[in-house]
Amino acid sequence: MINDTDNLEAFEAKETVNKLPVSWLILFWGLILWGIYYFVSYTPSISGWSQEKAYEESIRK
Amino acid sequence: MTGGIYKKPVLFAIVATVVILIGTMVTMFIPMLTSQMHPRLEDLKPFTAIQLAGRDIYQREGCNNCHTQTVRPLKTEVMRYGEYSKAGEFAYDRPFLWGSKRTGPDLARVGGKYPDAWHYRHFENPQAFFAESNMPAYGWLKGKKLSPSDMESHMKAIGFTYSVEEISALSEKDELDALVSYVQIIGASVKKKPAPAAVIEEKEHVTNPFAGDLKAIESGEKLYAANCAFCHGPNAKGDIGPDLTDDEFLYVKGDVSDDDYFEIINNGTAPGMVEEGRTAKGGMPSFKDSLDRNERWSLVAYIRAIQVKGAQK
Amino acid sequence: MNDYQYDNGTVKGFIVSSIFWGVVGIIVGLWISIQMWSPAWNIPPYFTFGRLRVVHTNGLALGLGVGAIFGICYYITMRLTKRPLLFPRLARFHLYLFNAAITLAALSLFAGMNQSLEYAELEWPLDIGVVVLWVIFAVNIFGTIIKRKEEQMYISLWFILATVVTVAVLYIVNNLAVPASLFKSYSIFAGVNSANVQWWYGHNAVGFIFTTPILAMFYYFLPKSTGLPIYSHRLSIVAFWSLVFAYLWTGAHHLVYTPLPDWIQTLGIAFTIFLIAPSWGSVVNGFYTVGADWSQMRNNYLTKFFILGITFYGLQTIQGPTQGLRIVSQLIHYTDWVPGHVHMGTMGWVTMTVAASIYYIIPKIYNTEIHSVKVANAHFYLVLTGQLIFSITMWFTGIQQGALWKATNPDGTLKYTFMEGLIKNYPFWQMRTVGGLIFTVGMLFFIYNIYMTVRKGKALAASSI
Repeated sequence: MINDTDNLEAFEAKETVNKLPVSWLILFWGLILWGIYYFVSYTPSISGWSQEKAYEESIRK
Repeated sequence: MTGGIYKKPVLFAIVATVVILIGTMVTMFIPMLTSQMHPRLEDLKPFTAIQLAGRDIYQREGCNNCHTQTVRPLKTEVMRYGEYSKAGEFAYDRPFLWGSKRTGPDLARVGGKYPDAWHYRHFENPQAFFAESNMPAYGWLKGKKLSPSDMESHMKAIGFTYSVEEISALSEKDELDALVSYVQIIGASVKKKPAPAAVIEEKEHVTNPFAGDLKAIESGEKLYAANCAFCHGPNAKGDIGPDLTDDEFLYVKGDVSDDDYFEIINNGTAPGMVEEGRTAKGGMPSFKDSLDRNERWSLVAYIRAIQVKGAQK
Repeated sequence: MNDYQYDNGTVKGFIVSSIFWGVVGIIVGLWISIQMWSPAWNIPPYFTFGRLRVVHTNGLALGLGVGAIFGICYYITMRLTKRPLLFPRLARFHLYLFNAAITLAALSLFAGMNQSLEYAELEWPLDIGVVVLWVIFAVNIFGTIIKRKEEQMYISLWFILATVVTVAVLYIVNNLAVPASLFKSYSIFAGVNSANVQWWYGHNAVGFIFTTPILAMFYYFLPKSTGLPIYSHRLSIVAFWSLVFAYLWTGAHHLVYTPLPDWIQTLGIAFTIFLIAPSWGSVVNGFYTVGADWSQMRNNYLTKFFILGITFYGLQTIQGPTQGLRIVSQLIHYTDWVPGHVHMGTMGWVTMTVAASIYYIIPKIYNTEIHSVKVANAHFYLVLTGQLIFSITMWFTGIQQGALWKATNPDGTLKYTFMEGLIKNYPFWQMRTVGGLIFTVGMLFFIYNIYMTVRKGKALAASSI
């Protein structure tokens, strides 16, 4: 009847099944750290920064 | 996260749903329950029936595909368009029409910037104003009558109050009238503040540094054709805006000095604005941020030159 | 009765329908690209830019995109669950309803029925139609997976399941409206709040229409067509969950410097930048997979499509997050940079991957080989060239627009009027039309190749009886 069934075994490599490339891990955690830094720096209730204040400053120059 | 969940599709779907709902809750759903997402400016009024009809047409024709309605708090952007957008301006916008692309200019501060006549003519033939504009013409809206009964049901659905006269008056109006009414109310709840001054202009009477300068007059003529002709006419004999060659200034006979012309080019006019004891009717936009100082003085020189020519005849 | 064993008819039907709507969408796309530099091509009332642009975006997103997703997801699901669809007749009805809905959708957009919500323009009666379509899809996918004959669910099925639930939530919430008549409604959300809801929807529609189902195709057809197994299962797991988690936080990057509260913008930007990692999880996995045998890039025409596709996905998912940053947004937001970005995703990643999937499916269904690898290669290079011309010209003109808008004279006045800036776009916009034309020719090669393969397959079937 059904002639082209898939062999799930063939889809995924055995030897590297659990590999997470180091460069990718650095990217992953690095971006999480950067995200925390950015959130802290640009949230008005934490850092006091706001886009209105930034604007006021830019026209005072 | 081991194998189990990848063998149980229902559990998998439930977990996936929970995972996507976390960000949804924090950034969308919870803010919606707080007042910060529902601000309203004091001067903001709900749309009238004809304004809503115009807004419906704005949506129908997809104007928001090319025009934004939000001015960002950035220096040059405020100079170009006017006061940056406030959260409380949009309480009656269902939905918001901020857009995401400026093929044409932002419209958040266009309300009241030009007289109605400017808009009618511009909608009918944008290329007559700006030869190289890519805006489609909308003159075909003219003569397409509004339907009072449709608009009554629209006003009901959106929950705005209206009067019977207001609805019945719509039968006299066409779609272009409605669109112009809407465009003229955009941003009206925000008090017009002058854009941040690029340079402080002198308050004392100043004479035109280019008075009679032939080169300046020549460049003024070009500037006139590009910036002024569509309202004041090709020969400055007046059209939507007043005649610039006659002996009137702001509808009163008697000459004024060059720097009064300069001031008007700088600031434009607003209804009731007084210059040299004369009251303006409004409708002229400011050119302070689009023309530099020399260009504005060149324009004055050109206007003076054609006045002289007129006087000699 | 082998006829219904794998419901190939429904799959074929969706593929043919999606190609048809794709042609409609691309032709409208060319048309509006000309309107950008020649307003005489506007023919009111039905064919002005304002109406046609939404026919273009909806025709391609719903017609080509969702049509291909329905058909190809059915194909993948059946094979990974080792059984036919649970409700084959419902799936056939799904196909007919899909085409009816897209036809009405196109007509309603020509007529100007438009909610003004980007990628959710359709008015409420059609929204109900779309929801019904989606529920049918969900019932069949869930039913088939629950009754599967293979215990483990492969990666592609995760992405399909995530797509099914998320799109349902997004679409229903963002389209909530009060009807004023059959053809007009007003959103229940107003002002700043409606902007926030819309871009929560809008960005995730991109995420769960143009990303997750396409990744399902990528993870399925890459190993199938190359014979190379996916490099790391664990990487797929981490990338999958972090992708679907982070995506929903990011809508606010479309609203940078608007009156939306700063903290929502900031949170949106932070998560947007993070999205590079899960996106690149799939990119890295794809590269390492083919890395086992790079000669496939030369010898196997399908490998090229998938690897170039995932490469554009990789570029897209670096460029996109970068655009969210305030400093970048200042310059390029509201300019042509953004359509340049979008079209790298749709023409480079989505269409490339969908076309390759179809190249794989059609010969399989008809038990034959592709009509011509040469034609497929010509298709590949044409769409690649067309897309690059399109995107690159739009990036140039976008940066130029942004720079002209903020340029000032020494005395602090603005240097260019809006019109002076606009005029400088025209040569780039004309080049964009050329790029679009080349892309279209490439797609015609594709359609010809599929048509000839089907013809060959049918002749083969007839002769073997």
